[in-house]
Amino acid sequence: MDSIVIIFIAGLIGLFAGMRKQTTLSLIVAILGLIGGGLAAYFRGTYISPIQSYAAQVPTPPMVILLLCGVTLLAILGGYQRYKQDPEHTSDYFALILFSLCGAILMAVPSDLMLFFIGLEILSIPIYVLVGIEKGSSLSAEAAIKYFFTGSFASAIMLFGIALLYGATGSFQLVEIQSNLAIGIWQSPMAMIGSLFILAGFAFKIGAVPFHFWGPDVYQGASNAVLMYMSTVVKIAGIYAVIYVFAMVFRDSYFFWIDLVSLIIVASIFYGYITAWKQTSFRRLIAYSSIANAGLMLFSLADANNTNVFFFVLAYAVSSIALVVSNQANGENSDELSAWEGLAWKHPLLGVSIVLALFSLAGIPPMAGFFGKFFLLWAAAPNLPYTTILALIGSVIGAFVYLRLLLLALKKPSVSIRIELPIEQSIVLIICSVLTIGAIFII
Amino acid sequence: MALIILLPLAFSLLAWFLPSSITRIVGLISSFATLTWSVMQLLSFDPENTLYFDLGLRMVRFSMDSLGFTMVLLTNAVIFLIFLANFQRSIVHDKRFTALTLLMQFGLVGIFTSNSILGFYIFWELTLLPVFLILFWFGAFEKQKALLQFFLYTLLGSLAMLLSVIGLMHLTNQQSYEALLAADLNQLGNTGIWLMGGFLLAFAIKIPLFPFHTWQAETYTKAPTAGTMLLSALMLKMALFGLIKWVLPIFAGTALDFWRWPIIVLGLIGIIYGAVIAIKQQDLKTLFAYASLSHLGLIAAGIMLGDNATTKTAMLQIVNHSIVALGLFLAAGIVEQRLKTRDLSALGGIAKIAPRFAFWFAVLTFISLSVPFTAGFIGEFFLLKSLFSAHALTGVLASTTLILGAVYMLRAYQDTMFGPTQISTFADLHWSEISVFAILTIAAIYLGLSPQCLTEFVGHSLVQLKP
Repeated sequence: MDSIVIIFIAGLIGLFAGMRKQTTLSLIVAILGLIGGGLAAYFRGTYISPIQSYAAQVPTPPMVILLLCGVTLLAILGGYQRYKQDPEHTSDYFALILFSLCGAILMAVPSDLMLFFIGLEILSIPIYVLVGIEKGSSLSAEAAIKYFFTGSFASAIMLFGIALLYGATGSFQLVEIQSNLAIGIWQSPMAMIGSLFILAGFAFKIGAVPFHFWGPDVYQGASNAVLMYMSTVVKIAGIYAVIYVFAMVFRDSYFFWIDLVSLIIVASIFYGYITAWKQTSFRRLIAYSSIANAGLMLFSLADANNTNVFFFVLAYAVSSIALVVSNQANGENSDELSAWEGLAWKHPLLGVSIVLALFSLAGIPPMAGFFGKFFLLWAAAPNLPYTTILALIGSVIGAFVYLRLLLLALKKPSVSIRIELPIEQSIVLIICSVLTIGAIFII
Repeated sequence: MALIILLPLAFSLLAWFLPSSITRIVGLISSFATLTWSVMQLLSFDPENTLYFDLGLRMVRFSMDSLGFTMVLLTNAVIFLIFLANFQRSIVHDKRFTALTLLMQFGLVGIFTSNSILGFYIFWELTLLPVFLILFWFGAFEKQKALLQFFLYTLLGSLAMLLSVIGLMHLTNQQSYEALLAADLNQLGNTGIWLMGGFLLAFAIKIPLFPFHTWQAETYTKAPTAGTMLLSALMLKMALFGLIKWVLPIFAGTALDFWRWPIIVLGLIGIIYGAVIAIKQQDLKTLFAYASLSHLGLIAAGIMLGDNATTKTAMLQIVNHSIVALGLFLAAGIVEQRLKTRDLSALGGIAKIAPRFAFWFAVLTFISLSVPFTAGFIGEFFLLKSLFSAHALTGVLASTTLILGAVYMLRAYQDTMFGPTQISTFADLHWSEISVFAILTIAAIYLGLSPQCLTEFVGHSLVQLKP
C-alpha cells in the first residue's frame, strides 16, 4: 500500500470514528494514518498510480512525503486544543486535513499536469473549509470566502496555463512536454504565455508578491490551529511543485523566466519584511513573514539540481509551527502582538522554543534556519549574484522583524504568570526545538 | 583537545539547570576549570605543530595552533576574571548571566579554533546570541534604540562577510584554512578586492574602525559592567584575530595591497579622533570607550602592515588591551556601583575615602599609559616603530596616542580620585576586586618584562604572507 492510500483511508476511518464523538480516538486515528503514510513512503519508495489510462507515476521523493507527513503531524498535535473544542467536528477537521495532505503529496512532485491539477484542488478545497471553522467570527467567514474566490481564480489561471501548454505541446505528461519544448517549441507564444500563467498560479499558491494579497487577511481570519497547517504544508507542496515544473520541465526557457522569478524573489522579500515591521497582529506578521520566506524559497529555481530547499522549508516549517503554537498557548485564538509581552517567561519551554524559532527565522547560526538559507543562497549565488546580495540585505530587515518580536517576548514581566502547557503542545515545541538546534549535526 | 571547546558548552547547559542560589559559584568554578584545562593542554602543546581535531560535524573542522591557543587562553582567563570581578554584584546571582557568558566563551573558543571558513562564520554569528541577550536583559537600554543600532551594525557586517564567505568558497572550491592559503586569489583581480572588502566591513564594525564606531560608546555605556567587559576585552578581539589568521594570509597580494592604506588611514583617524573625543568626555565609561577606539585603531593599523614582526607585537598589544579594558571598565563599574553615577563632574576625592581603590586604579591607569615595564610599552613602541618605517607621517600621527592618551587618562584619574570631596561614603575594594586588579597587574608586568614568551609562541603559527 502507498502513503496516499493509507492517509486517505485513515481520513475515512477517522470520519466514521467521529460518530463516537471521542476526540482522542480521532486524534489517534489521524496520527496512526500519518505515521503509516510516512513509513510507507520511506519503505516503499515512489508511488505508482493505479490509474492505468494515465500510466502516471507520482515521483514525489520519500523524503518529501515524510516531510509533509511530519509537518502535518506537528500541525495536528499543535492545534489539537482548538479542534477538540467542537467534539462533534473534531474528526471532520482531521479528515479534511488528511484529505488535503493527500492532495499535497499528489501535487508536490507531479509527472502529469492533469494529476497535478487534481492534487492542487484536493489540497486547496479542504483548506477553504478549514479557514472558515471559526463560526462565531466574521473575520473567519470573510477569510474563507476571500480565500475561496481568489483561490478558485488562481486555479483557473493555472488551468488556463496548462491548457495553453497542452495546445503548444500536445501533452499533459511532463516528460513529453519537456522533450517537445526542448526542440524549440518553448519559443512559441503559446508555450511562453502558458508558462507565465502557470508561474502566476504558483506564485498565488505559495503567496509570493504580486499574488500575495490574500495572505494576511486569510491568515488573520483562520484560527491558530489551521494556520499551523496552511502556512506550512501548502507552501512546501507548492514550492516543490514549482521547482519540479520550472527547473525540470521549463529548463530550456530558463533565461526567459529567471529574471521574472528574480523580480518576484526580491519584491517578496522586501515587501514581506518591510510590511511585517509595523504589524500589530501576530497572524498578519506570520503572513508577511511567510510571503518573504516564499520569496527565499523561490531561490531554489536558480539551479537545476536543487536538494537545498529541503532544509530551508523544514527550518521554516518547524519555526513557524513553534511560533504559532506559542501564540496559541498564550490564549485561545489570541492574535494581538501586545499579548506577546513577556510570553517567554510564562513557561521555560515556551521561552526556549521562541528564542530558537525566532533566531532560526532570522537566519542566525547555528540554528536550522541559517543552514537552510545558507545552502539555498550558496547554490543560487553563481547564477543570481545580484539577487543574492539583495536577498541578504532584505534578510537584515527580516532579522529585525523577528528580533522585535523576540524583544517583546523576552521582556521580563513585573508579575510572573505561569501558564500550563498541554502535553501535546509541549511535545510539538520540544520536537521543533530539537530540529532547530539539531540541524548542525545533519549538515 | 576537543574538551577545550565542549567544556564551556557543557557548563553553560549545566548552569541553566542548577539553582540560582549557587550560580555565581558555578560560574566561577566552571570558568576556572576550563582555564585550568586549557593551561594543562598548553603544557603538552607543541607550538610548531598544528593540532587537528573534530567534533563529528561534517562541514566544520577544528585546529589548534599557537595563535589560536593564545586567544583561547586569553578568552578563558578573561571569562574567569569577569566572573571574579563581578563576584559581589547582583548580576552574577542570575543564572541567565552565568549560562550566557559561558555560551559566549563557547562561541569565542569556536572562532579561535575553527579550521574552516564556514565554521569561523558560524561561531562568529553564534556569539551574537549571548551578547544580545545579556545586553537586553541586564543593560539599561531605554526604548531599545541603542540595542537595535548595535544589532543593525553587526548584522550588516555579518551579512557582508557571509557574502564574501559564499564567494570565497565558490571561487576556490575550498573551505579549510590550509587549502584557502594555498589558493591563488591574485588571479581573481577585482573580485578578490570585493571579497576582502566584505570581511573588512564586518571586522571594521566589530573592532570598530573610525566611521563604523558609532554603536560603540552608546552600547558600552548602556551595557552592564560585565557586558562591557565581555564586549571590549573579548568580542573586539574576534575581528583582530580574523584579520591576522584569515584575511591577511588569504588575500595577501592584490587585494591586501588595495586595502592596506585605506584601513591604516582609518586606524590613524580612529587613534586621533578617539583620543580627542575622549578628552572632552564627562562620562567615565564613554571616555574609556573612546580610549578603546583609539587603542584599537593603532593595533589594526599595525596588523595591516602585514609583516610578521609587527603582527607579533600586535598580538602582545591585543592581550594588553584586554588587560587594560578589563581593569578600566571594572574601575568604572566600581565607581558606578558605589555612587550610582559616572559623571566626572560629580566625582572627586575618592582617594581619601578609598585608598586601596585609588592605588589600584592608578596602577591600571599607568598600565594603560604604557609606562615602561608594562606590556603596553613594548607593544606600542614596536607598533609605532613599524608604522614609522612604513611611512614617517603615519608614525608621527600614530604617536600622538602617547600624549593624548596621557591627557585623557590622567584627567579621568584626577577628576575621580582627587579634588574636592563631593561624596561621603565609598566602600573600599572587595577582595574579589583586589584579586582581579592584582592578577591584571601581574600579567601586564610579566608581559612587559618578558614579551618574547608571547611573541615567540605566536610567531610559530604566523605564515609568511605571499608577496
